[in-house]
Amino acid sequence: MRLIRLLLLSLWMCSCAVRTEMPDHRIFPAEGATLLLWVASERGLAEPEVHAAQQLAAQGMETWSLDLVGAYFLPQLASSMDAVPQQDVARLLRAAQASGKRVVVYAVARAAVPVLRAAAALDPAGRQGLCVMLMYPNLYTVAEPLTEPDFLLVGDLAGLRVHVLQPRRSAATPWLPGLLDHLAKQGATTSHVILENLREGWWARETPTEFELAESRRMDVMLRRELDNWGCK
Amino acid sequence: MQIIKRWLGASLLGLLLAGSVQAAGFETRAATSAPELTARDLQGAPRSLADYRGKVVMLNFWASWCPPCLREMPSMERLRLKMAGRPLAIVALDSAETADEVNGFLSRMKLGFPILLDPDGSNTKRWKVFALPTTFMLDADGRVRYVLTGPTEWDEGEALVLIESLLDESPKRGEPGT
Repeated sequence: MRLIRLLLLSLWMCSCAVRTEMPDHRIFPAEGATLLLWVASERGLAEPEVHAAQQLAAQGMETWSLDLVGAYFLPQLASSMDAVPQQDVARLLRAAQASGKRVVVYAVARAAVPVLRAAAALDPAGRQGLCVMLMYPNLYTVAEPLTEPDFLLVGDLAGLRVHVLQPRRSAATPWLPGLLDHLAKQGATTSHVILENLREGWWARETPTEFELAESRRMDVMLRRELDNWGCK
Repeated sequence: MQIIKRWLGASLLGLLLAGSVQAAGFETRAATSAPELTARDLQGAPRSLADYRGKVVMLNFWASWCPPCLREMPSMERLRLKMAGRPLAIVALDSAETADEVNGFLSRMKLGFPILLDPDGSNTKRWKVFALPTTFMLDADGRVRYVLTGPTEWDEGEALVLIESLLDESPKRGEPGT
């Protein structure tokens, strides 16, 4: 009996330890005033993304690179992102903000879900200090042919500024206005840009076009440009 | 004989729906009425579902940038040739691209079935298409009977059995196939 109690206590202590952790991430340090938290899609981090993170750091933008499915040993599925503990991601956001730098979160595809949930878990001041860029965010709960789409409720986004980057060549492009409305209804201030001649995940395509290949090599330039054009301070 | 043939066809379809058709991803719909289709063909002529009334319609949403869409196109062309003279209309509706983009693709792949344009994505939204390709199989009364999200080989296997079953339901009502 004592042995079972000891075992249960050990398990509880382990779970506490897990609960207080931040997801593993890679830091590319830099001296500049902006910190970019790069959250990869459910497909994990591709080499061009790591290269872009290094380039951004070399240009003075500190970049924290995060692969959530890898960090939590989850399968590379969109639904895996829904299982990521929001408190862990919120803890990472607070740690980034504690650096004193302007924090920009860049999340790809379904990674929008844990990022937005974590942002909703911040206090209002923390949320207002955050700039969130979402690359073709997937917030669907229902996306069935002939059925109205339904999007996830992620929590209170009041004060959060969200900029959506949407590749033109995507089945989600016609649905972008509905997604922006949904985010606005949860309190976010939204804006968007359409990325011409690009497909979702162009940096990791099996058969990329010449243009996509070139754009994969200059993702750092694209992100800086979008951040400057957006002007989130 | 015709009744036996239809019964066998229906039985085979039932078996397939319980097994491999299900695995291919065909969803059965309870004969729901089809949304409106308002599009133009590459010559600029207006097209709607009424143009195909009395035929089984295979309405395929695609885009020239979508590799799975392009992979299934040859099988759609083979299906068109196989079904010549039968009341089947194969209609490919390009989602949210310009005529130039579509023509660029068609210069590389010759297709005999009609291509319609949906440059503003309004049909894509009306039919609630969230992934490409998505294909709707309509019976000769214009009702949606099956939906497939993703590609398949249309001139063989389960897809062909399903198309034959819809054709068997509506004998001799339509004009010869497109």
